[in-house]
Amino acid sequence: MSDNKKETQAVNEFNQVMKPVSLWADAWKRLRKNRMALVSLYIVSFYIIITLAAPLLSSMGVIHDYKEQILSNASLAPSFKPAGALVVAKLEKRIVDLEETIKSHQALEAETGYNPSSGFNFGPTAEVVPTEGEVDPNQSFSLNFGGTGTDTTASADPLARELEFQKTELERVKAEMETNPSAKKVYILGTDDLGRDMFSRIIYGGRISLAIGIVGTLTAALVGIIFGAVSGYIGGWLDNLMMRFVDIMYGLPYMLMVIIIMAMIGEKARGSFVILFIAIALVSWLTIARVVRGQIISLKNSEFVEAARSMGASVPRIIFRHLLPNTLGVIVVFSTLLMPSFIMNESFLSFLGLGVSAPDASWGTLVSEGVKAMEYSTWQLLGPAIAMTIFLFSMNFLGDGLRDALDPQSKNRT
Amino acid sequence: MARYFIRRVLSLIPTLLIIITLSFFMIRLAPGGPFSREKDVPEIILQNLLKRYHMDESLGRQYLRYLGDILRWDLGPSFRYRDITVNEMIDQGLPVSMALGVTALVMSVFSGVAVGIISALRQNKWPDYVAVSIAVVGISVPLFVMGPVLQLFVGMRWKILPMGQWVSVHGWKAIILPALTLSFPYFAYIARLSRASILEVLRSDYIRTARAKGLKESVVVWKHVLKGALLPVVTYLGPAFSGIVVGSVVVESVFLVPGIGRPFVQSAINRDYTLIMGEVVVYSIVLIMANLIVDIIYGFLDPRISYK
Repeated sequence: MSDNKKETQAVNEFNQVMKPVSLWADAWKRLRKNRMALVSLYIVSFYIIITLAAPLLSSMGVIHDYKEQILSNASLAPSFKPAGALVVAKLEKRIVDLEETIKSHQALEAETGYNPSSGFNFGPTAEVVPTEGEVDPNQSFSLNFGGTGTDTTASADPLARELEFQKTELERVKAEMETNPSAKKVYILGTDDLGRDMFSRIIYGGRISLAIGIVGTLTAALVGIIFGAVSGYIGGWLDNLMMRFVDIMYGLPYMLMVIIIMAMIGEKARGSFVILFIAIALVSWLTIARVVRGQIISLKNSEFVEAARSMGASVPRIIFRHLLPNTLGVIVVFSTLLMPSFIMNESFLSFLGLGVSAPDASWGTLVSEGVKAMEYSTWQLLGPAIAMTIFLFSMNFLGDGLRDALDPQSKNRT
Repeated sequence: MARYFIRRVLSLIPTLLIIITLSFFMIRLAPGGPFSREKDVPEIILQNLLKRYHMDESLGRQYLRYLGDILRWDLGPSFRYRDITVNEMIDQGLPVSMALGVTALVMSVFSGVAVGIISALRQNKWPDYVAVSIAVVGISVPLFVMGPVLQLFVGMRWKILPMGQWVSVHGWKAIILPALTLSFPYFAYIARLSRASILEVLRSDYIRTARAKGLKESVVVWKHVLKGALLPVVTYLGPAFSGIVVGSVVVESVFLVPGIGRPFVQSAINRDYTLIMGEVVVYSIVLIMANLIVDIIYGFLDPRISYK
């Protein structure tokens, strides 16, 4: 067997053994020379590995549970310090702010008799029932009201009452610092308004976005390949009919149709993102179908197809074994460029509230939540936005690089 | 020319008909409707509601009735908003959306071509690298990331421009941020496109001839290069405008612009049949007309294209 193989090895005019170079080896060689594309490839692989390993990382305790809501740790800024220290710092700042405000109000009251926070002072106020929720709505603060009980020494000034409350809260947090496990958590990308870890939310959001991107691209590619191959190979009136259909679909306003499909599916089923990617895939196979058809038409009269046909190969065999492998390069390039547009479209819908729904979250959902919170916690917007942009950036670069690498006519071929 | 024009306009009718038919039946065939809410509506009220909106008739009759209404440009009453018809909503919102879209398109074309010229003439020097990097960023950053980030820094932190809403509230400054957001991806694409095609034209024979004649470089660039190099940009105007129109749905939601994009999203969530249909019809007409106009402009610019 091995002797046989040696005999069939190709040799050049100097009788040296020539190693056959496949299209893929050749393309890989060229891709490696394109530094941006290579870096992009590493970044994309990194994203895929991290998102695939997310449940494992979560169970090992490397990242926090993305669904776990710890209200006492809400809206913490990105930091490498444990949550307890951040909460204490936040409470202390709030207390200082409150004391200053109260002081300035008292100074004002001494001057004019009017206190902006408790109103005019007509002597002791009767029957003021302190309610725990009564706080300055303009300030965000820890939502943990647990165990403070009724406060009999409450004064008429709601600010003073809040000061009192924050002080007891600070004591409680300090006391629990050592014992409470949630105070020891480190949130490197901060937390959202419900005290969920942004880092793991971004990873899990990426899981859904990537899943929709990959599955959607595969579906669109599959439909496009079959449609384009059949249309191109068989030709004649069938080709004409199929391509008119594609033309009409092209004429339809694409995102409008997706929005209509999402509206049609209705509220209940909308959460399941299987339907979401079907909706997007339904309208994005068109370009691949056209490209594949063009390739097939240019190849179908070549000698190797004629040879296969003369040996009695069936039509599906010719299409799938002989023609499609020769168009694979183009398909790969278009699929890589399709994936970022898939992820973008899914996020577009999620951003509008027509896509993935809670408790699941894609990058689009995270960005839209971040927009609502950006006034007081910028990191909720910037985290997912940057994570998503880096990925889309890399995918676009990788697609361009692959196009250069797989296109034999490309200029930078050496 | 006139025959081509008439044929193109006539060919729009079947496209529009297909869009209307598809959307109409897709929305109607799904279970539920605008009147299915959390709370059950008493049977008799439901019957009256259905009768009021002609929803008790057969689907085919409703479809024909809708087609007839569209011919008279009557888009019907909104199912959700009792006091306003779809026509009124469109009349209010369309000028706003069009102003936003056209501003964005003009901004992206002019800045895109300018950057394309600069980077092509300074190929592989630093202005070229800067321009190419900005272009790649523009293509990769989604609108709904770009918009809020601009809002956060320009509007909220630095307070240079108003964060949202429209000319009626903030004056012409209100148009800048949404139009900038909307134009950014298309600016990036046009910059890339015009750079590539200018580079190609610069290498062609007639440019060498022009230079050999001793023409000034500025004349060569403005009169000879741009004429040939801008054709791909004109071709791209059609897709760019459709993209801008669809993208305005997001930008209007982010910047609270009172156009037709926000009611469209709301109608999809509320399943407000007449409003969805009306918006789809209006959007389709806008898109189709834009493509037609681009085709005609293209014919004027490129004498190689003949109308047959």
